[in-house]
Amino acid sequence: MVTKTEETQLNNLENQVDNGGGGAWEYLTLLRKLKLRRSDKALKHGLSILNNPKLRSTLGPDEWTLYEQVAVAAMDCQHLDVAKDCTKALRKRFPESKRVGRLEAMLLEAKGSWELAEKAYTSLLEDSPLDQAIHKRRVAMAKAQGNISGAIEWLNKYLEIFMADHDAWRELAEIYVSLQMYKQAAFCYEELILSQPTVPLYHLAYADVLYTIGGLENLQTAKKYYASTIDLTGGKNTRALFGVCLCTSAIAQLVKGKSKEEKEGSQVQSLAAKVLEKEYKQKAPNKLPQLTTALKSLTLAS
Amino acid sequence: MGFVFTVGIFGILILFHAAYSTIQYRGLLKITEEEFSGPPFDVLIELFLGLVICIWAALTLPAKFLSIHPHSEDNRVVSLSANVDFMIFNHRGKVFPVATDLKLRQ
Repeated sequence: MVTKTEETQLNNLENQVDNGGGGAWEYLTLLRKLKLRRSDKALKHGLSILNNPKLRSTLGPDEWTLYEQVAVAAMDCQHLDVAKDCTKALRKRFPESKRVGRLEAMLLEAKGSWELAEKAYTSLLEDSPLDQAIHKRRVAMAKAQGNISGAIEWLNKYLEIFMADHDAWRELAEIYVSLQMYKQAAFCYEELILSQPTVPLYHLAYADVLYTIGGLENLQTAKKYYASTIDLTGGKNTRALFGVCLCTSAIAQLVKGKSKEEKEGSQVQSLAAKVLEKEYKQKAPNKLPQLTTALKSLTLAS
Repeated sequence: MGFVFTVGIFGILILFHAAYSTIQYRGLLKITEEEFSGPPFDVLIELFLGLVICIWAALTLPAKFLSIHPHSEDNRVVSLSANVDFMIFNHRGKVFPVATDLKLRQ
């Protein structure tokens, strides 16, 4: 996850590097640390370091990490010859390495020779059956081939062994959402919230899924999770603010006619609406009329 | 910065002086053969003063305090990292390659 401070730092560094101000290595390190996928920039700036022997020698052993990063970035940009050269350099340095073996298999994947890649992964798994990264690559390969149900099957098998891997849970949740299997996705997001309760974006995604499923009980839970997202982000998440408003009006529509309406709900909604209006006034004043009409229609419906 | 550092050193010196005074006072008590019940009042004041100065210097000298709240402006999570372990290369970028002149020189 990326916090606000890290985001500002990254944007500053990216600006600096793009304008030729140096700091390419720091930028690439930050990309690795935050696990971001900016392959075009990683490739460009990584190669500029690797092609400069003086810069490269200052890195010391980190040089090989950079080779790996650039190789993956090159595969992502379809610069297969660069990826091949990087992998070759790594293979020369580490002739026995499993990690380089994985990289070579990934290169086969990028070329599109699925069978060869599959074979390579299988032989790697025979040597070390508990290598998480290789298991994950197989899932990704199934996904890349369009075999989504196969990917789900692999992922479920993987998660039976490595239950604490939240990245895998997230991947599974996103696959389920893409297939509109919301109940299964909700289960995955529950797992994610359990393992990382302070990440507001999981609360938000869970609430989104519940809101999409619909029904009074789900809507009420969704509203609670939108509220916890607001709590964890200090009220800065616009999506969560809109979510609270939408949930309140949807709940009000469902319980209309029935007695005993909850009074406290309307208060949360009006507070969220107030914050939204304030934010729009500050950041996008020309969209403010649209917002007010949208909010009005929500309160009219209730 | 230099000023706060000097004040901190001064506070530590005061504490040392208080310790030295107490030792001397105990030596005096041994000569007069009285029981030691506690340091004298002026040493207590000196101790307190040294403590306050040291605390102030220690709190001022290091950099500013950072927030530990998850919902503070600095700490709030704005985005999740790309799930790079599950990266696939079979995407639309395949059709639109960027900057073809890149090459690794050995």
